[in-house]
Amino acid sequence: MANSAQTAHGHMQDHEGHVRAVEADLEYWRTKRLEPRLIQLHRRGVLTLYDLISAAAHVPAALPAAGEATHDMESRIRALEDGLDEYIRGVALASIDSSDYPFVIEDTRKERGDYDEFFRIAKPPHASTLTERIARLEHDLREYQHLLDVLMRALIDKGVLTMQQLERQRAFLAGRGAWNGARIVARAWVDPVFKQALLTRGREAVHELNIPPGRLGKLGVAENTATLHNVVVCTLCSCYPHDLLGDPPWWYRDDTYKERIVRDPRGTLADRFNLQLPESVEVRVRDSTSDVRWMVLPRRPAGTDGWSEEELARLVTIDSLVGTAPALTPAAPAQAECSVPR
Amino acid sequence: MATAEATHRFQVGERVRVMQANPAGSPRTPAYVRGKSGIVTALHGSIENPLDHRGVYPPLCSVLFSVHEIFCRASQDTLSVDLHEDWLAPAEPRHR
Repeated sequence: MANSAQTAHGHMQDHEGHVRAVEADLEYWRTKRLEPRLIQLHRRGVLTLYDLISAAAHVPAALPAAGEATHDMESRIRALEDGLDEYIRGVALASIDSSDYPFVIEDTRKERGDYDEFFRIAKPPHASTLTERIARLEHDLREYQHLLDVLMRALIDKGVLTMQQLERQRAFLAGRGAWNGARIVARAWVDPVFKQALLTRGREAVHELNIPPGRLGKLGVAENTATLHNVVVCTLCSCYPHDLLGDPPWWYRDDTYKERIVRDPRGTLADRFNLQLPESVEVRVRDSTSDVRWMVLPRRPAGTDGWSEEELARLVTIDSLVGTAPALTPAAPAQAECSVPR
Repeated sequence: MATAEATHRFQVGERVRVMQANPAGSPRTPAYVRGKSGIVTALHGSIENPLDHRGVYPPLCSVLFSVHEIFCRASQDTLSVDLHEDWLAPAEPRHR
């Protein structure tokens, strides 16, 4: 999600960092998810461009919120982050496959140009000052949301998706999430038999936690030890065990992370994530290049003897599941923990 | 797992070289490992993944590379990349 790079402090300290995160993630969801989806539906004759025009006649564009430009910068940025989250949830709904038109994720990657420099959907340049960038994001987000609303309307009108399918997808999306990852890690910390099953059999093992195991290939679990620190990336696109763990941190989809982490793993962890690892620890990057989708099993923090699984799970952050941070220590207030559902 | 391993041409611990190009193969071999050599660390068999891929790709290996060898920079760090066997060749002649 948009705000997971920064810790969830009550007060926003780095306005520019938050704006940069929204810019990068909004462009990702536009150029890599929503617009390729539209192109895909169009190419296969599921929706014609005229279907979109017809649907647009019934979906009004949102107007700028009253007094938007007069609000203070922090509340405007927070509104953008909330708007982005809603947009991301909407794109996920628009990405359900109708049983009449089955799509394969690999087709999407090819069609949106992941393997071909010539076929990328271009990013527009950003305006200069922070206030201008915020205004531009507010404008872009309204436009993108409108396009998404039109697409949903067209899918329903055309009978490609039913309200029932949408409700089912909504329930599925609400059930997955980083809290699943936290529970898996906590169980592995307290139960060696479970840990072994997880490392060798992956998805199958999570059944005993009543977590739906998902179906996106094989789950790879990379265990951190005293001498090995794992960090996950997907340099070709942004593969992650989404179906099990929900969305990764926003920067996981960011090209600068992908490029830097493979070239200089240790330096990137130190400079970008303030994680200094001693020379005695090998840093191993797991590039999720194919059918194995990787998560990190972080080390159990010291001073947690006798803790319950629930208490332990609160020490597991979304960043620790990717390997750019250790699990929280008992002393640190658990502010960036994986949020417990509801 | 035993049956998955039986389908592999390579073994854990074997040194392999990644092809420079393989137009008929899957597109999911990153450019930075092409032409480079590494050590097989895990065998995954042929993974059925109908949501992700149309059809089943050849058996998949995790191959461990050194950042130092790939990017020619001082580093003790490693890169583990999952590659299909049709992209791999033995790195040196096998002994009988």
